[in-house]
Amino acid sequence: MTTTMTRSVGATLATLALLAGCAGVPAAAPAAQQRAAASVDLPATLPAATVCDDSFESTMSYAPGPGGGSVQAIRDRGALHVGVSADTLLMGSRNPLSGQIEGFDIDMLQAVSNAIFGDARPLQFRVITSAQRLEVLEAHEVDVVARTFTMNCERWETIAFSAEYLTAGQKVLVTRDSEAQSIEDLEGLGDQRVCAPEGTTTLERLQETYPGVEAVAAPTHTGCLVLFQQGKVEAITGDDTILAGFVAQDPYAKVVGEPFSAEPYGIGVAADQVDLVQFVNGVLDQAKADGSWAASYDRWLAALGPAPTPPVSVYGR
Amino acid sequence: MTQTIAPSAAPPAAVPSTATAPVHRTGLRGALSRTPGRLRVAGVVSVLAAAAVGVIGLNAGLAQSQALSDADADTTQLVGIQDVRNDLVVADATATNAFLVGGLEPPEQRARYDEAVASAANGLAQLAGSNAADAELLGQATAGLTTYTGLVEQARANNRQGFPVGAAYLDQASSVLRTDVLPQLDELVQANSDRVDASFDSVASVPWLLALGILALAVLVVVQVWLAKRTHRRLNAGLFWSTVLALVATIAGAFVLGSAAAEAGDARSGPYDATVSVSQAYSLANDAKSQESFTLIKRGSGATYEEQFVLKTDEARELLLRPTVDIELVGLLDDWVASHQEIRALDDGGRWDDAVALAISEEPGAPNDLFQTFSTAASSSLEASAAQTHDALSGSGGSSVLVGWLMLVAGVLAAVLSWRGISKRVEEYR
Repeated sequence: MTTTMTRSVGATLATLALLAGCAGVPAAAPAAQQRAAASVDLPATLPAATVCDDSFESTMSYAPGPGGGSVQAIRDRGALHVGVSADTLLMGSRNPLSGQIEGFDIDMLQAVSNAIFGDARPLQFRVITSAQRLEVLEAHEVDVVARTFTMNCERWETIAFSAEYLTAGQKVLVTRDSEAQSIEDLEGLGDQRVCAPEGTTTLERLQETYPGVEAVAAPTHTGCLVLFQQGKVEAITGDDTILAGFVAQDPYAKVVGEPFSAEPYGIGVAADQVDLVQFVNGVLDQAKADGSWAASYDRWLAALGPAPTPPVSVYGR
Repeated sequence: MTQTIAPSAAPPAAVPSTATAPVHRTGLRGALSRTPGRLRVAGVVSVLAAAAVGVIGLNAGLAQSQALSDADADTTQLVGIQDVRNDLVVADATATNAFLVGGLEPPEQRARYDEAVASAANGLAQLAGSNAADAELLGQATAGLTTYTGLVEQARANNRQGFPVGAAYLDQASSVLRTDVLPQLDELVQANSDRVDASFDSVASVPWLLALGILALAVLVVVQVWLAKRTHRRLNAGLFWSTVLALVATIAGAFVLGSAAAEAGDARSGPYDATVSVSQAYSLANDAKSQESFTLIKRGSGATYEEQFVLKTDEARELLLRPTVDIELVGLLDDWVASHQEIRALDDGGRWDDAVALAISEEPGAPNDLFQTFSTAASSSLEASAAQTHDALSGSGGSSVLVGWLMLVAGVLAAVLSWRGISKRVEEYR
């Protein structure tokens, strides 16, 4: 249902995309605004000078398909190789009690694996940091990456993404007794250190947009939580999905304010494996349609509220 | 009896003064131009030469003993620091391995960790007390250890609640250990091994001090030759026996100090070398053991840890292949490394769960068991060679001191004999 609706929009966008050149505008539109954008008359409102505009075309992927050579290669190999996080609670983390890696990202990957093999086969995990996400795909060390992976034009230059499967928004986590409601408030306080992981859009935006706070980089999101608990940073900024996982681990932390950016998550695939992207998109559309997406959302991300409508898949590349 | 006292202090001052005090400058020249005066001077010279043999001998003996006990103390300190280093890497290897298990860590692993940390803390305090020069770096290492154990406990507490942030604390703990503690200890190991080398060098060079005794002997011989020409008697009994005594004392001293130096040299190239090599290899192997756990904890991104594993085990292997080291150890290390390959094969083949099961298994023949076998053998070999080194170094210190004092006695006797020999000639002129 969603796909048919978006296909026509996607087609018009594709023609537009051919005419334009990428301006590399950083994502700044809130999630709600972006979702609304999908349903309005886009060709009229979009600026004419972009091939890939982060406010919209970054979420555009290849139309679903049955899969070709690369999907068959995975089937022959017998396991889907996935790049994931093992320390992002709720999205992809190792459960210390069972030793299993689990979370919303993992559910999506498991659905893809199940569709490829026709049975619930264990995923072949490769635990990576945020900064490694692009390189493991470029080097074909894994088939797919689902690791709170924001789709943007810059990344589209080296890899491909599936359709958007979750919309996160960047927020701020502060101590329980802090009165700050946003990064601007922290800038106003002065001498505030804010942590974000290396190799993420979050860190880039923090450094570019908020010179009033000291940006501190950690190798992983959880590395930021360690610094926060040790009092080495006053706040952490990151996607609400990730921050929700932190609050679950630390009752002295709270997430404040409204999201100040939209982070559309896509499953990363190597740029030369379009058939795999198409296959993954088919699986995601299926999950969004049959309620398994919502079930996963409720299981992992209930802290963010009840399951919303799944993000609209945009095709046309 | 009066004459035994005279040569020690009186002759140089008293003899010339009684003869020359009233006559002053011209008198002194006059006294020296006459035979009795010259004889007295010859007497003083030979007494000094004979006494010099004794003084040199005593100095050499004491210096040798000091150098030996320095070498012993520095070796003990060195082994102590490496013990602490080993305890710490054992603790870290155990903590990371226990973390792999998931859920509650096995009580015996927890106990092993606690034991290793307690032993390291004890060791650090003792080492700081035993050598003031090392105290500052040891203080830094102790501070680092406190941070390390705090982080490990935080990792545990979070792990116990099922929070993945526990893994991040463990990561941080390991890196604190590797940046704030181990480098300090490595620096101390280097400083102490330099000190041990310097002490061994001086043990070896002290016997050459006795070459100065040969100069003194030559003086005695020259005096006798002069005396023989002057008095037309072939031998002066006193001087002759004095020379013989000094010669015997020098030869005996050289023999005793030389053999102590040789024994120390043997210890240096034997058990000491083995102690240092095995200790380093043991430490490297434990380091590699931690890396093994990290290759699995990092699940698929462990390639850099595996590189470290290979580097460290190769280095350990090279150390264990030294001729001084018990050849059995390298075989045990190889067994363990081979079992590590099985873990890698499982993990690389996509069977991570099986790889972890193998890595944490305590069954006989499993990697942990093989590593334990190697550790036990390395520790006991280490203890044995350290004890041998200590015995070799502490045994000969006493005989060096004894021979030093004996040489002093011989020197004094020789001086007395010389003085009596010359006195007889002088009396002939009265």
